[in-house]
Amino acid sequence: MEVQIVHFYPDLMNLYGSYANVLTLKRYLEQLGCSVTTKAVIPGGETRFAQGDFFYMGAGTERSAKAVMTDFARFREELKAAANDGAAMLFAGTAMELLGKSVQEADGTSYPAAGLADFTTEHRKTRIVGDVYGYTELFPEAVVGFMNKCGITTGIGTPLLSKVAMGHGNEAPHSPEGFHWKNVFASELTGPLLVKNPRMLETVAAAIYARRGETLPLDRPSDPWAEAGYTVTEEQLRKQI
Amino acid sequence: MKMLLAILLCKLGHAIGKLVGKGSSLPGKLALKVCPDILRRVQLPPQVIAVTGSNGKTSTVEMIAAILRAGGKTVVFNEEGSNQIEGVTTLVLTHATLGGKVKADVLLIESDERYAAKSFRYFHPTEFVITNLYRDQLTRNGHPEWVYDALLPAIHPDTELILNADDPLSSCFAEGHEKVQWFGLDRCSISTDAPAGVYHDGTYCPLCKSPMEYAYAHYNQIGAYRCTQCGHAKPNTDYTATALDLDAGTLTIDGETEIQLAFRSIYNVYNILAAYAAGRRAGIPAETIAGVINRYVLKNGRMQTFKLGAHHGTLLTSKHENSIAYDTNLRYVASSKEDCVVLVIVDAVSRKYFTSETSWLWDIDFDQLNVPQVKKVILSGRYCNDLAERFSFTALPEWAVQPDIAAAAEALRSSGSEHVYVVTCFSDRDKLLAHVEKEA
Repeated sequence: MEVQIVHFYPDLMNLYGSYANVLTLKRYLEQLGCSVTTKAVIPGGETRFAQGDFFYMGAGTERSAKAVMTDFARFREELKAAANDGAAMLFAGTAMELLGKSVQEADGTSYPAAGLADFTTEHRKTRIVGDVYGYTELFPEAVVGFMNKCGITTGIGTPLLSKVAMGHGNEAPHSPEGFHWKNVFASELTGPLLVKNPRMLETVAAAIYARRGETLPLDRPSDPWAEAGYTVTEEQLRKQI
Repeated sequence: MKMLLAILLCKLGHAIGKLVGKGSSLPGKLALKVCPDILRRVQLPPQVIAVTGSNGKTSTVEMIAAILRAGGKTVVFNEEGSNQIEGVTTLVLTHATLGGKVKADVLLIESDERYAAKSFRYFHPTEFVITNLYRDQLTRNGHPEWVYDALLPAIHPDTELILNADDPLSSCFAEGHEKVQWFGLDRCSISTDAPAGVYHDGTYCPLCKSPMEYAYAHYNQIGAYRCTQCGHAKPNTDYTATALDLDAGTLTIDGETEIQLAFRSIYNVYNILAAYAAGRRAGIPAETIAGVINRYVLKNGRMQTFKLGAHHGTLLTSKHENSIAYDTNLRYVASSKEDCVVLVIVDAVSRKYFTSETSWLWDIDFDQLNVPQVKKVILSGRYCNDLAERFSFTALPEWAVQPDIAAAAEALRSSGSEHVYVVTCFSDRDKLLAHVEKEA
């Protein structure tokens, strides 16, 4: 299977090791026998949505996110159409905020975001940082990661993590975290998310396959370092709860 | 009366703290409880120099103190390292008379970058050295622009800023500020045409977010930048490293002052430059400064040599969660002329707080170790699997995992004689040093 990954703003939106989500997904798909190409979109650069199987944006500073949004706005309609059509997407870290209706900055001014979903984000003057341990409806294992944001996101009815046992969610400590609709995944968790959580990597890969009407093969590659790393972090975080 | 009580409490607390080996921030904390504006009430020396930034604070402050003393000035500074308002209060009050007068020519303060605004609420430095701002302890600091915004209110209009011209972000503090002095490094033997490293958001203009062009770069986004849109660019420097040869260990400042480097790292060069600039601004002659910093060996123990079996070793303290500290130390290792083994340890991410956050490993350019003389890399500590996952995306041919630090040390002791470089943090260094014979 040929897979094209579209990576939005890999330079500006690359805080907290965000690029590793793309690296690990690409390697996983290749191990499954896919032929994977990655296309980087930079401000002013083109992308053809019809050819994309997976759309990705990572975390950035508040100023970087605002700057890329002025460029990202031109993809609004295509992004919605692709999402409706079942295209797989991951908006990781602060990139999640750009999927909503708007972002209000700490000084009170707002700018419109991509409007793929109905939620809004308000930035605060204090930063929300801390380890996170929670659960998704998608698989039984816990999800681990680290929250590093200044925004409170409200209006999400379909979170990615339905339960947060430790750390901050979309709205408050222990509130649900992230966003999940069709094959669109979004989470403010860093780690990076797909590296720290091998099950989430599998889930996102399965979403890419699903759009092609296929399921992941039963015989799948395992990444022993990622699995062992997950075991350690899961245990360390569980002890803190 | 409140001031006297606060001073007495602080002095007493500090004396007791010294006896029991406790930290230096608690006495200041107590004093601030008794008298919250104590730092406004005391009489400070005529010159107050502050140093902040992501990297190099402690080393720069140590060198500035040595320079000022060689120039005949009396200096008090926070040698004990507590660099938030409580530590600064301890520093000031323990050196004050009961009447509240700090008896010294210069008060020299290492200040935490994110909390500097608190420390400088009641007084302001006459000179403020900002070494750099980049990704450091993001679990606490958010990101460099977040730190920039937190530091901005700490800067008083009357303060003279001593800034790093080569850093696109911290150079922005000069925007709208009148008194600025610049230090920087000209193109030299270590310069590259474009910035290196595995992330590049720092090469976009911090003011307008357009891509910047580089005439040359020294490391990561540090170098001669120019924004293609708004014109934000490396300014002309007042104190300049005009030549640098890290292989020979020679540095020339302002075309005439020759320095031999005890530690041949690009970091050390910037710290020396910052200290040189601060020294000159304090009126110390160039030759006096040169006398101090020539072959200057830092006393803060960031580098430790040791023996382990037939191996000689060097431990390079690299702050976890600080990719540039790692990158510059890896560059130092890669410049080694002899065969070597590298041991990377991530056991506790921080010594001050718990976290399992290891995304910073992806900001480090471990591929720098992919040189013929690095024979093997050993990954150890609780987060060795996260390290291994990171290494599985490098081109390095020889790396292995040993979770147990003691076992990693024993395996090295029992075989081989190559030089051993240990790259790890304060939080983990003693876990290795317990198994080696330290050298002076």
